[in-house]
Amino acid sequence: MEEIVFAVQPVIVGLVGALLGAGYFAFLRWQTRVGGLKASLLVGAICGVAGAMLLTAPLGYCMFEADKKNDDYIVGWIMVALGLLLTLNIGSTLLWRFFRGQRLLPRGDTTPGAFRGRNGALYAAAALSPTILVLIYFVYLPMVDTLRLSTFLARFGAPRTRFICVSNFSRMLGDLDYHSNLFLSFALSFGIIIITMSLALLIAAMLNQPIRGANIYRTFLIWPYAISPIVAGSIFGLLLGTESGIVNRVLDLTLGVKVPWLVTVPAAQFSVVLASVWNVIGFNILFYTAGLQTIPKDLLESASIDGANAWQRFARITFPLLSPFTFFLIVTNTIYAFFDTFGLIFVLTRGGPTESTFTAMYRVYVTGILASDIGKSTAQSLILFLIVVGITIFQFRVGQRRVQYGNY
Amino acid sequence: MTESASSRFVFDPSAGQSRPLWRRLIPQRWYAHLILTISVIIIAFPMFYALLISTQSNPEVWNHKFTPGDMFFENLRTVMVQRNMGRFMLNSFVIALAISVGKTVMSVLAGLGLVYFRYPGKWIVFGFVLITLIMPGDVLLIALYRRVVSFDGWPHPYVALTLPLLASATGVFIFRQHFMTMPPDLSEAAQLDGASPLQFLFRVLIPLSWNTIGALMVIMFLFGWNQFLWPLILLRDQDLQVVQWGMQSLTQNLEVGDNFGPMMMGVIITSLPPMIIFIILQRQFMKGFALTRDK
Amino acid sequence: MIRRFALVALLLAIALGAMAPALAQETIELEAWVAFSDHRYDWAVDTAERFNALHDDINVNMVSVVDYDTIVNNYTLGREDGNYPEIVQLFDAALQFAVDSDWFSYAETIIDGRDEVLGHPVNFDDIIPVISNYYTVEGVWASVAWNTSTPIMYYNVDLLQQAGIMELPTTWADILDACAALQPMVDDGTISACATWPFSGWFIEQWLAQQNEYMVNNENGRAGRATEFNLDTDAYRAIAEFYRELYSNGYFIFEGQDQWGPPTQTFVSGKTAIFMSSSAAARAVSEGAAETGFTLDTVGMAYNQDAPSGWVGNILGGATMWISNGLAPEEEEAAMAFLLFFSNTENSASWHTASGYVPVRNSSIELLSNLQPGNEILWDIPSGSRVDIEADDWYAAFPNYLTASTQLGNSTVNNATRGSTYGTFQQSRPYYNGLVEDYMLNGGDLDAMIAKTNETLTELLQEYNFLFADE
Repeated sequence: MEEIVFAVQPVIVGLVGALLGAGYFAFLRWQTRVGGLKASLLVGAICGVAGAMLLTAPLGYCMFEADKKNDDYIVGWIMVALGLLLTLNIGSTLLWRFFRGQRLLPRGDTTPGAFRGRNGALYAAAALSPTILVLIYFVYLPMVDTLRLSTFLARFGAPRTRFICVSNFSRMLGDLDYHSNLFLSFALSFGIIIITMSLALLIAAMLNQPIRGANIYRTFLIWPYAISPIVAGSIFGLLLGTESGIVNRVLDLTLGVKVPWLVTVPAAQFSVVLASVWNVIGFNILFYTAGLQTIPKDLLESASIDGANAWQRFARITFPLLSPFTFFLIVTNTIYAFFDTFGLIFVLTRGGPTESTFTAMYRVYVTGILASDIGKSTAQSLILFLIVVGITIFQFRVGQRRVQYGNY
Repeated sequence: MTESASSRFVFDPSAGQSRPLWRRLIPQRWYAHLILTISVIIIAFPMFYALLISTQSNPEVWNHKFTPGDMFFENLRTVMVQRNMGRFMLNSFVIALAISVGKTVMSVLAGLGLVYFRYPGKWIVFGFVLITLIMPGDVLLIALYRRVVSFDGWPHPYVALTLPLLASATGVFIFRQHFMTMPPDLSEAAQLDGASPLQFLFRVLIPLSWNTIGALMVIMFLFGWNQFLWPLILLRDQDLQVVQWGMQSLTQNLEVGDNFGPMMMGVIITSLPPMIIFIILQRQFMKGFALTRDK
Repeated sequence: MIRRFALVALLLAIALGAMAPALAQETIELEAWVAFSDHRYDWAVDTAERFNALHDDINVNMVSVVDYDTIVNNYTLGREDGNYPEIVQLFDAALQFAVDSDWFSYAETIIDGRDEVLGHPVNFDDIIPVISNYYTVEGVWASVAWNTSTPIMYYNVDLLQQAGIMELPTTWADILDACAALQPMVDDGTISACATWPFSGWFIEQWLAQQNEYMVNNENGRAGRATEFNLDTDAYRAIAEFYRELYSNGYFIFEGQDQWGPPTQTFVSGKTAIFMSSSAAARAVSEGAAETGFTLDTVGMAYNQDAPSGWVGNILGGATMWISNGLAPEEEEAAMAFLLFFSNTENSASWHTASGYVPVRNSSIELLSNLQPGNEILWDIPSGSRVDIEADDWYAAFPNYLTASTQLGNSTVNNATRGSTYGTFQQSRPYYNGLVEDYMLNGGDLDAMIAKTNETLTELLQEYNFLFADE
């Protein structure tokens, strides 16, 4: 009996995929009124089956086996959904390009001034190959090696591993602690990005004024950028200790108060944001000052003649023209806040008090590096990776619309 | 800078000859000085505090002495001689330089390949490079280590250390943007003269990109300088270790209290080389980033 | 003629000299990984050089690997590609891993009943029993004890006496009483609080052992492989309640989990009267107290006066030296000889002065209390060399250094005080420490919290066992 159920699972999954795919393509057909209905249904069904199988088939549909828990099924359907998202998007794009008689692969942004001639692809391959090869061998392959572990119970140095299907993922589904780690990552990252970038922009705007000593100011302001996150944590530990920190010492002498910076909520979270902002603000100031240099002075001057005040000039000219920098900084700051702050947290708070500064990446670090529980750790990091990919795609989408690539 | 300053001067209503005395006494744009001074005080404070501690003994730090102690040279000796930081800084300098040069060269080439040729699927290639920006490198270290040591013909451990780090998504992104801002006439003219892409690269693109190159090298030097976990896993010879390893050994306090003076001396000293590089390349950096795109 | 003869003789001598290295035995190169990188590393290097000077054919090279976790990780990776040291320092939490990995030769097996190895005497009877028993696995001595410590109490005697406390607190109740007596001084701002110490899982392990309780089943994993956690005990509850009482009365300054620096600093600057830390901190704390100008005194780690068994004993903490297996016989011999030298009476005594870790041998304690001129035992940190201890009795001059040795010496050896051994030690610490932290700060339903954590930790342990245990 069990075997029959097991054999039926792939069929059900494929069928669901085919139905969804065909339905989606039919909807697109109805919406665009381009192309044939039968072709749409057929290709849609094929894409749907492929999407449903994309992530589940390599694992042998194990998450749908009879003895699995509800959470495993949920993870399975999420994997089906992710696969469908990918194949249906790609499939529909290609199919409708075909319907419209366009090239299947776009030429990309062909800059005016690109070299003519047939050897273009060859030259490009030669120029890109060092980067691509290094990325494939030293980033993508280790990534594949690592991800393979996410479906295993595996410990560093253990004589054996055990395939446990998607348990590492379904475990996270019901793990409230992990959910709060994720939420915290979002909240802290949001705080870090907003505070860093608004302060950096203000400071950069001041640095961009024709004032004496701008170079000296700038040098001091980016000094913390030369400090690694772990060491930044050590320094802030010295500053913010309740009894031992110099900040409370000064506060005590002047105002007679002591703030438990690292051991109460929300002060500890604030302290982690503060230390991270301090660590990364130099980088932001650098880019914003460099960005401000690219804004044509005549534009601001003519606006000034037209009677625009400083704030109007900033809001209507400077800030929109800075948007490529803003966009670049949002992406890099997101990555810093999600991935690079764990060393700082380790030194400063150990994720405490009571896990109130325990971010998702810190959990990856604790589980994988400190506790050698690498199967769970890679599953956690994969989730984190998918989330940051999602955020970045979202940022690119919004960015493409909002970013002004100055038409001057 | 000076040019724009003088041109601004004309439009600045407060800059007339007939300014009242009090306006002449306060520096122009006093608010900028005020904000910057406050920012410097806040942002650089931890570094100045570190500098203060680097002159003190442990009990002086414990009791929050606000005056410099007399341990500066003693702490300096501990860090540089006893804990061998000079050696580690030299090692890190070599590594960071190799990484920053290598990353820049490869990014320039990749930027060329992404902008100046026509071929289908360009955005796929770009996406393939860009997405590595998001991959959490620290998670991959063990798998990377296994890949790297499975080949045993490395001429020097530093080659094995730096080669995997040479591809840079940030660098490719920045050079791609930079080349897109170049006027198309340049390559048109080069093609009319019958220049090959390589000649175009060396004779036109690179001479016009020194600022971006300098700017990227500053960032990448710091990236190399701050490497810690990867060298920690890969390097087995203590004399080859890097500056962040040295820092870690200064901050370690297994079951015993910290040794603050040497630790903060280490913070100050190890932050100096990247700062010096930055100060040298500051002009380039400020002009280097044109993320804007001419259409 | 004589000249010619002299010339020939000279040439011969040169030729022989050139051949000498080839004739001599090949040098045995040994690498030893240690987790220290400060003056304690300097001491290890110096001692290795002393050993090398005794043996022309052996060269021990000390390598510093920054911290305990990195040693375990790097050694595991090194095992995969054959790039690992002959000797490695592993911390207490890695004991089960060291046993399960099958990567090490046990010291007692190598010695095989001999009473000396390459001229270095074997005298294990001399080692303090609770120490030797920690590292006894499967009935044999597995590794050679090096840095060993145990928690002790540090008191600011001036402050205690000011509050009218003449007897140093030795139990939890004493501490709470002392804190109540000190409260007026907190209120008038003389001091910041009664007590502070690092909030570390190590202390919880210690307090369980003191109360004769096991952390994991199968008698702490000593009678058989541990398969379940054993947190649901009165002993563990008592620890949580003790912390809660300390904290909710405002007696205790909490500076975060596993933060060792800030509490030390608070105590030595005279802002609290009571402090608890590793005995290895004795040197730093003594120097700090002298600088601030207060009288320091130490006693053994305070215990739960209400525990049915009273005080049974304490566990050691620290790390030991393990010898990799699969070495050539002469390498194994040389490694064993080195570790015997490394932990002999003089070196153990000298290590104690360098680091504050307890001397693992009773004979070292005797040596330190009965010193002769020319002893060359004291490790001088600034110069990085050994000098004479001027006094006759080290412990008379520094009585606080003896507290830890006494505590370990008085400990009853049983499977509670031998300490727990199980595979997920390092992974579990933040859980059982975090639970106490959570209860201390926020209160709550202790039984429910314990049940949940116990279940999580048991599951992790069973996963580990599934991957490591022999089938």
